[in-house]
Formats: sequence, structure tokens, C-alpha cells
Amino acid sequence: MSSSLIIIDKAPYGHENALSGIYIAIASLDKGHNSDVLLMGDGVYAAQKNQSAEKTIVYPSVSELIYSLFPNGTLFVHLDSLTQRGMKYEDLVEIAELIDNKTLYNLSKSKKHLIKI
Amino acid sequence: MTTPHNENMSNKETMVIVLLDGPYISQYADIGYTMAKSALNLGYGVKIFLYMDSVHIPRKDQNPRDFPNISQNFAKLIKKGCEIKACVRCAAARGYTDQSHYLEGVEITSVYNLAEWMDENSKVVMLGS
Repeated sequence: MSSSLIIIDKAPYGHENALSGIYIAIASLDKGHNSDVLLMGDGVYAAQKNQSAEKTIVYPSVSELIYSLFPNGTLFVHLDSLTQRGMKYEDLVEIAELIDNKTLYNLSKSKKHLIKI
Repeated sequence: MTTPHNENMSNKETMVIVLLDGPYISQYADIGYTMAKSALNLGYGVKIFLYMDSVHIPRKDQNPRDFPNISQNFAKLIKKGCEIKACVRCAAARGYTDQSHYLEGVEITSVYNLAEWMDENSKVVMLGS
């Protein structure tokens, strides 16, 4: 079984990347791959709960789309990136899992493909 | 339509290049072309998936005055056996509702095809900003 880690480091809505990265993850999970998503840098904003993109800027809500990863894929949020932006675990969607640098290293080593978008 | 098989392909490994940027705004399309050409010449399989703004790359009748014509270069890759597919969501959003504007051999397909390409025998390279 193939495996991949899709790394998103851009904030949602400012760029198409976050949405497109999640679509890759959903597609690869559908094909039976062991795929997860990592939000780091400004990408952590994609996991902030209570987003209102659909009502305000008429964009698909990235935070709602993220739930499509569940239960086969995991949404990792880089702990350092979150802390640097003054955010807390409580600010995130329920399926988010925090990941520190050491665990991230091991996760990256375990994946066949690292997809940074 | 199907693309010609790379007759020089002697390796099982395939390089999958995912492009994100449109032509000329960055060098990524040219870099992707150079990487693909080199890999094909070495006997590897090469597949290119056009995602987001990169769906503009295979548009026919481009006429850049100051840059290499990326569309013509991609046509050379197709002749060498490179498989090129464009994301249908990205293409439709940018007005490419069918393949009439594209080079012959470029297929509009879904991101699920990219997922199929991400197998154990491939290596994915993302190029874009």
C-alpha cells in the first residue's frame, strides 16, 4: 500500500493550495493509500474551527472539507507553528492532532511520498 | 486519448511531476520540462499532472516573445511518451471545459488519477509556489 503525507503551509482562501492539498489527500485515501495531512506554517489556519468562508467569500469551507479525511486519514497540526501564531489546540477542529518535531520526523520517514503544496 | 509508450523505458520506476504554477510567471514549468526530458532520456517513465494554474501550460498557440514556448516543449515530451493529465476541477474553473484548447495527447481528468499515480513504483515531485 502506498503512503503519503500532504504538507500544507499556506493559509486557506489566500491561496488555492490548502483546498487543493486536501483534495489530493481525499483522493489518495479513496484509493486505499495510507495518507495524512500536515498543516504547518500558515497552513495551521486551515484547521481553525468556526470558519465562515461559504457565507462570506463564497469559497468552500476548508475546515469542513477536512472532516472528509476522517476516519482513515489523520489531520496533523504542527505544534510549533500553532504556538508561534498564538493559537491553541482548543481553537482547532475536533479531528486535529498536534505533532511535535520528533514525531513529525518519524512520520515523514514512514511515508513513501511527501507532497508539499 | 492514450499517449505513446516510451519505447526507451527500461526502468520500472516512474517520476510523477505535479506542477502548480502557470507558464512564464515562474520557471517551474521549464524546470519540470527539463526534469521530464532528462528522466525520459534515462529510460524512466514520466507522468505530469497539471494542477491549479498549471492547467494553462498545454494551451495551444502560445506565442511568448521572451521565453521558451512551454507548450511546444510539452508537445515534445508527449512524443517521447510522457503522459500528461490536467485536473478537471482546475481546468474547468479556468475555462478549459474540453480538450479543444489543449495539445493533442493532454487528457483532462480528475485528481483521483493523480492518486493512482502515487504508487509504490513512483516518486512524486511537486513544483510550484
